[in-house]
Amino acid sequence: MSLADLPLHDMQRAASLDALCGIVAERHARGEATVLLAGGTDWVVEQELKPPRGDADPRPLVVDVSCMAELRGITATRGLLRIGAAATYLEIRRHPTVIERAPMLAAMARELGAIQIQARGTLGGNLATASPAADGVAALAAYDASIVVKSVRGERRIPFSALQTGYKQSTRAPDEVIVAVEIALPPEGSPWLWRKVGTRRAQAISKVALAGIAVRSEDRVVRLGLGMASVAPITATLLQTRALVLSRPLSAITADALDAAVLSDIAPIDDVRSTREYRKHAAKAVVRGFLRDLGAPV
Amino acid sequence: MKITLTLNGLSREVDLPPLVRLLDALRGPLGLPGTKEGCGEGECGSCTVLLDGEPVNACLVSIGQCEGRAVTTVEGLSAPHLGPLARCFVDHGGAQCGICTPGMLISAEALLARRPDPSDEEIREAIAGNLCRCTGYQRIVDSIREAARERREAGGAA
Ligand SMILES: Cc1cc2nc3c(=O)[nH]c(=O)nc-3n(C[C@H](O)[C@H](O)[C@H](O)COP(=O)(O)OP(=O)(O)OC[C@H]3O[C@@H](n4cnc5c(N)ncnc54)[C@H](O)[C@@H]3O)c2cc1C
Ligand code: FES
Ligand code: FES
Repeated sequence: MSLADLPLHDMQRAASLDALCGIVAERHARGEATVLLAGGTDWVVEQELKPPRGDADPRPLVVDVSCMAELRGITATRGLLRIGAAATYLEIRRHPTVIERAPMLAAMARELGAIQIQARGTLGGNLATASPAADGVAALAAYDASIVVKSVRGERRIPFSALQTGYKQSTRAPDEVIVAVEIALPPEGSPWLWRKVGTRRAQAISKVALAGIAVRSEDRVVRLGLGMASVAPITATLLQTRALVLSRPLSAITADALDAAVLSDIAPIDDVRSTREYRKHAAKAVVRGFLRDLGAPV
Repeated sequence: MKITLTLNGLSREVDLPPLVRLLDALRGPLGLPGTKEGCGEGECGSCTVLLDGEPVNACLVSIGQCEGRAVTTVEGLSAPHLGPLARCFVDHGGAQCGICTPGMLISAEALLARRPDPSDEEIREAIAGNLCRCTGYQRIVDSIREAARERREAGGAA
């Protein structure tokens, strides 16, 4: 077990975000890897699964970002919610503005892992690991969040729609640090859904998870965000489904059209947690459930 | 790397490679074997300790991340004698083989510190990250509910 490897890694703290960007950039230029250790709930577990490194193999430098002030904190100004990349799920689910204005995010955080995982895990880690099963990423997809990243070249915002390019591939450069995520808050009281289809509530990675937010105006949905985990090589944003729902009155949406749109949006596989067929079935059912809550006859 | 932390209320310094797991630092050089290792992957909760008051898996935290922070282990809840919470586990059958018990006690402590009068559902959520292969959980829920009641009657002191 290569946990024995862990003590052989070097760990530092960076004095500031700029200093951190400098360390990452310098090492990247030399072809050396840097791990930004936040909650360790992905990285430490991964180390356990890896074969031991040989003595000559380069080990990444680990920088502890779990207490870095510039990556923490949750703030809301004029309809924009900003969550630090190193804020924990526990901080997210307990934050009054999140509970009030982004209840779907609070629900996601409440059902991610168990409390011990929530007390350590972060959206920065969830985004960087970039598993298609990631719950936090699915929620961010539904909010059409922006990912704030920073490097020695400066800060920029990546719209969620431009983030993921393939399985664990993204448009974030290897030397860009995730600083925060920003969410344009829907009006208070907007309908939302967080639904994890899994074996049990705590700890289990879902077979399918759906994050949804909607803004409704009479018989129409005027803003719709959907994010689905575990149904494609990347987090599915269900663009055909969104387009269908936005294109017509709720009363004119049929179950058949909705199912067809969902199926065209996903590409599930068989794996240890579920099958392709079950995932298709579950994906259709959870989207129908959300649309039914919104008032569509499906 | 020299790391200073507050451990069970006392300031302690250790000199260890920073990525040594908090779990190994506790059970080894810090001399507190009460915290148990089950899975080593964050699944079972038997290594649960409080980090600045919140329950975390000590198998996923590195000692270097504990600089300047407060860690509470099961020894900090009970030493030198069985504390009231642990006694409720004994009295109500909340402990059988005992492997999960230190983690259960810490998770229960974290809950009771925030929620003096938790519902059964809140108790179950609080211990959802703690696996027990002996009790079937109901007796653990009973133990925690009883500890909460005693604590309220004692004015929060127990
Ligand atoms: C028992 C258990 C249950 C879990 N349940 C769930 C679940 O239900 N749903 C779910 O989605 N996930 C789950 N996870 C996975 C994990 O908890 C999450 O993915 C979590 O968000 C990871 O965050 P972290 O801070 O712990 O990441 P870390 O492990 O600290 O880091 C992970 C990776 O992200 C990089 N990184 C961290 N921060 C940054 C940053 N600011 N900028 C750039 N890179 C960064 C690191 O370099 C590292 O490569 C579970 C894990 C465990 C062990
Ligand atoms: S040993 Fe840490 S969670 Fe199982
Ligand atoms: S008492 Fe044996 S595992 Fe819980």
